[in-house]
Amino acid sequence: MREVAVLGVGMHPWGKFADKSITDLSRTAVEAALKDANVAWPEIEAVSAASSRFSGGKGWGLNGNDIVEEMGSTGIPVYNLSAGCAAGGNAFNIGYTLVASGLYDKVLVFGAEKMPKGMIQTSGVEEETDPEYLRQVSVGMPGPAFWGMLCSQRMAEYGTTEEQLARIAVKAHDNAVHNEYARFRKKFTLEDVLNSNMVSYPLRLYEICPISDGAAAVVLCSAEEARKHTTDPVWVAASTVATYRYDDGIPRGLASVVPPARTHHSEAKLAVSKAFDDASLAPKDVSLVELQDNTVYYELAFPEEWGLCEPGEAESLVEKGETTPVGSLPINPSGGFLSFGEATTAMGVFQVCELAWQLRGEAGERQVPNAKVGLAQTLGLGGNGTATILKR
Amino acid sequence: MTTPTTTPVAEGLFAETAAGPRLLGSKCTTCETPYFPKAAICHNPNCNDSKLEDAEFGPHGKLWSYTVQYYPPPPPAKYDEPYKPYAIGLIDLPEGLRVLAQVSTVDPESTVGGADVELVIERLYTSPEGNEVTTFKFRQS
Repeated sequence: MREVAVLGVGMHPWGKFADKSITDLSRTAVEAALKDANVAWPEIEAVSAASSRFSGGKGWGLNGNDIVEEMGSTGIPVYNLSAGCAAGGNAFNIGYTLVASGLYDKVLVFGAEKMPKGMIQTSGVEEETDPEYLRQVSVGMPGPAFWGMLCSQRMAEYGTTEEQLARIAVKAHDNAVHNEYARFRKKFTLEDVLNSNMVSYPLRLYEICPISDGAAAVVLCSAEEARKHTTDPVWVAASTVATYRYDDGIPRGLASVVPPARTHHSEAKLAVSKAFDDASLAPKDVSLVELQDNTVYYELAFPEEWGLCEPGEAESLVEKGETTPVGSLPINPSGGFLSFGEATTAMGVFQVCELAWQLRGEAGERQVPNAKVGLAQTLGLGGNGTATILKR
Repeated sequence: MTTPTTTPVAEGLFAETAAGPRLLGSKCTTCETPYFPKAAICHNPNCNDSKLEDAEFGPHGKLWSYTVQYYPPPPPAKYDEPYKPYAIGLIDLPEGLRVLAQVSTVDPESTVGGADVELVIERLYTSPEGNEVTTFKFRQS
């Protein structure tokens, strides 16, 4: 496999844009990434796109075809990747593989969403043979209830406090104040968060991400191409995809097995572990993490599941400020999903944009000092997990 | 005027047996992996001889964890109006099954993680036609 560089990144801001189409958002992100890479559209040799269930793509998730038509059809191959909320990470992985394999020198990766109003129904299938559908009709259980159950178990086991949960949301918004692409750019106090409505005990409204519109794009290229543009590229140290293990203790339908040990989010853990192996890096080498914070709970659970801290240690890292951009384990300096809102399939690409800005030292007030290695992770319906490690 | 009927929210998930309420699932006799609802083949990748037979689970379990659902769930979930928050739990059964279910309590905020719970079949909602639609729940004892 060849070395692969992130040559350019670009985003449309996250928010709700009633007057713009998904193509408008996509074009803005793609044009920004091409400009950042100093590459003209006809030079792009292939597109790897996240498939959306909610917008564009001719209703078939053909979002990559939409952007090729918009930018100018040059006859290039298009890959549309579907993996629920992990689709952006999957699209990045295929884009990476296309360059690493030597098939193409310059590939565009992108993800874009215009989300419908209201709560997301995780499954789009209304049949009793669909485990998600069966769960929703017989238990009356939307997605955030999962996070609530896992979080309340953590509270029982480690004594996590509601204030510690709220502190994670406060930190997210402190970071987002300095990110021009974030949807919510105002500071939240502990009281603001603790006074927000309980959604799924013990999680409150401001401790769960809303949904947003957004788009992000990345230009990947070979080492040879990268060196024509810069002497100090941002490299892809690893890009991995995994799916969950059958003995994972989070039911995907109505039941799972009782896991042999604490086995949760196995798709994410497998992807992250393999990424560390592929990159020949260890958790201690990580300068910053962009993880999928649909809920503050993930910022406590994921670091220990991936070996970034000891079990039960995450709460004290939060309290000591170690997860802020200037701490020992910066998590989501971008402001994360909590400040952006989830534009589901665009999120894996958005994370790569933030890592690239951080590693180049272009993140302004939210800059992680001396950032050398960045880890990003997504998790999606169907038990899909992805991880990306960038380095400089 | 029609007589109100009771119908299960889905067929083949649970039953009132002579011994009391049970979940209807299956079990692989080779590797002992339990399934709810029934599975057609064994999903354990380490099992090399899938042999599934019908199995009934319950009524006793332990509440591994829980949440209280404070807002009405989006469709296709249904509930009685006006919406009242309920507890949802992950229940570990001695048969090695971890089940998702509503926790039946008078006050959802009195739910306790780790509590002993027992399977019950109760109303989930009453349809506009007056039919009582039932589901499986676990009652905190």
